[in-house]
Amino acid sequence: MNNELTRRNFVKGSALYGAGLAIALQIPRPNTARAASKSSAPITLTELEWTTLEAITGRIIPKDDQPGAIEAHCVNFIDKALAHEDAAARPLYVAGLATVEAIAQSRFEKSFAKLEADQQDGVLRDLERGNANEWQIPGIPSQLFFETARAHTLIGFLADPKYGGNRDYAGWRVSGYPGPRHRMGGYSPAQMAGEAPIVPVWDRES
Amino acid sequence: MAKRDDFDVCVIGTGAGGGVMIDKLTAAGMRVVALERGPRLSLAEFDDDELRNVVRDEVFSPNQLETYRTDTKSPTQTGRISTLAHCVGGTITHWAAWSWRFQRDDFEVLSKEGAVEGASLADWPISYEELEPFYGEAERDFGVAGLSNGNPFEPKRSTPYPNPVHPERVSGRRFSEGATKLGYHPFPVPKAINSQPYGGRPKCMYGGACRAYGCPIMAKGTTHSVSLPRAERSGHLDLRPEAMVFELPVDQQGRVTGARYVDAKGAEHEVRARHVVLAAGSVGTPQLLLLSKSGSHAQGLANGSGEVGLNFMFHHHPTALGLFEEDLRAYTGFESHAGLDDLHASDPKRGFIRGGVIGELNTMTHQPIAFATVMGDSLGIGSHWGAGLKERIRAFPHTLVLALIGEELPRSESRIDLDPEVIDRFGLAVPRITKKQHPNDLAMYNWFEMKLLELAEASGASKVTPSRADGLHIDETHSQNTNAHNLGTCRMGNDPSRSVIDKWCRSHEVPNLWVVDGSFMPTGGGYNPTLTILANAYRVADHFIREARAGSL
Repeated sequence: MNNELTRRNFVKGSALYGAGLAIALQIPRPNTARAASKSSAPITLTELEWTTLEAITGRIIPKDDQPGAIEAHCVNFIDKALAHEDAAARPLYVAGLATVEAIAQSRFEKSFAKLEADQQDGVLRDLERGNANEWQIPGIPSQLFFETARAHTLIGFLADPKYGGNRDYAGWRVSGYPGPRHRMGGYSPAQMAGEAPIVPVWDRES
Repeated sequence: MAKRDDFDVCVIGTGAGGGVMIDKLTAAGMRVVALERGPRLSLAEFDDDELRNVVRDEVFSPNQLETYRTDTKSPTQTGRISTLAHCVGGTITHWAAWSWRFQRDDFEVLSKEGAVEGASLADWPISYEELEPFYGEAERDFGVAGLSNGNPFEPKRSTPYPNPVHPERVSGRRFSEGATKLGYHPFPVPKAINSQPYGGRPKCMYGGACRAYGCPIMAKGTTHSVSLPRAERSGHLDLRPEAMVFELPVDQQGRVTGARYVDAKGAEHEVRARHVVLAAGSVGTPQLLLLSKSGSHAQGLANGSGEVGLNFMFHHHPTALGLFEEDLRAYTGFESHAGLDDLHASDPKRGFIRGGVIGELNTMTHQPIAFATVMGDSLGIGSHWGAGLKERIRAFPHTLVLALIGEELPRSESRIDLDPEVIDRFGLAVPRITKKQHPNDLAMYNWFEMKLLELAEASGASKVTPSRADGLHIDETHSQNTNAHNLGTCRMGNDPSRSVIDKWCRSHEVPNLWVVDGSFMPTGGGYNPTLTILANAYRVADHFIREARAGSL
């Protein structure tokens, strides 16, 4: 299959988003935020899927001296999104996560989540490059699964915490984004000019 | 039919062109019905949540559906392609409010450049001088803040900007320093955003999320904040949201009688009006004309020339990124604070005709998801995932973004027609975009990409790279598939065999049909187009009212 075409066909129509946002997003409204406010336990994924996906997110954005995707609870963001706005991507995750777990079992006789970091990275690199011989899902290239999980992890890391990820503003702290300002009266000319400090929204709220 | 109504004028679309017509005609006492396909959004929905507004694009046109292909031999992509807002107020609701006047030469591209193979260059049937007073009217109504005479290349203006310039931000200052070092003349980009309380609206709060967002305090000049509230207060406006027009019926004399539309529940309605003003945008307007086929208009309404839908134009946006140590504060303010206009005019030494304006802009650098997903792979640091991805995420406040608003040449093969297979939720054929750049566009893109890298470096960046986002970047094998600047498709001209509307934006064939959105443009200009669309609508409205009063419409 022509890689470029596959990618473009799955790309959402929205203007500025290209590769990676491979999720159908034409679906009825709101409710990830409401779901996330009710529960931070799995509502879409099974326990095993959750654990496997959490480990994947942790390799996409690992912890260093600042939190990574596991600490930011990106898996929770994806779980809630799959229940609502991004429900179209659910079969992709179900099939993909089962295959990832099967690859780990056949290569290392262990669960993916129990592998060493470099073993996990090796599996993910094979998915990213389409090199996993064990990947046999009709119509779904492993690259599509990888890019979707990557995009979802990034979005969960950096979207408003009300959607279930970016826990304790972990993603915004890493990025240096001080948070949305419309509700807080914006910025002063001195702040724009770099002459006054920026107080992030989490410090204003505490 | 649920009901029939009679009006003086039916306006289809409430964006830049339609909103101004609605405002001016109701102020003149005419009874106007405005049909808008999108819903009425309240200010409470204009938040700055990036996931909702931009990543999922849930606010402004969730039902938008189009198809796109590069040329007739390419595969077709289906989805939401164009950057539009289907809501009361139209796409100008989430514009970035750059408010340029075109230069004199933008009105006479064919005369100035001569014919170019593969391009359908044309002169405008009007001059800068004819549009000048209406640029002033648009600037005053929409509250443009700018430095009068700040742009040494701007043509003569008879009235000053109504609002003073906005404060600077660090990223804008760095760009201006770099541009000055290279001998250019940077200045504050004129913006239809209040820098002081003006027109009953407050001043901007510089919250960062401006382009692609609605303004929750109406500091941004839009038809939603300026034209439509005034028209509704006039008592002469019947504004009908969620009214999707699917046909413009025609009588025995060849005059359009009004419009037929479906409401949100799918029920059909018909309104009757003495004149119909079409303002559904460069994608929606040709779609509706082509849907309106009747005995005498087998090719679609007002399309005897076969020109409806042709010459669909974007602007091109080569983009450079520059990394800095300092926090550039580009997430404050609005989209663009500083720009330069030195490179607008054609220069034979560059190997292409036409040009554009350059701006320092925060299109991605006020929103961390967009930054990481769209620009991450272009930064030239870190990696696609793993520890290196965090390096990219952390570049957010340290990245300077410079881009061109570059004039694209019109091509008759770049067009809107009706998709033969894909239908929307009402069963209507969706617009099909066929769009590819001219070789001149590619030469311009490549030259300016180098120039932008040079400017980013002169601004003090420690590392510079081009941004080559999928769908925006063009090269031999990639075309741009989307833009907020959708122009052309119902060309204005004096020759009825080669244009759709005359110099007053009135159909050559259907005497009571007018087109006032961006589709009137014969060529696209090397500037953000909206102030010109507004000014043109003021010009058409002025003519319409004068003719109506003289009894000669």
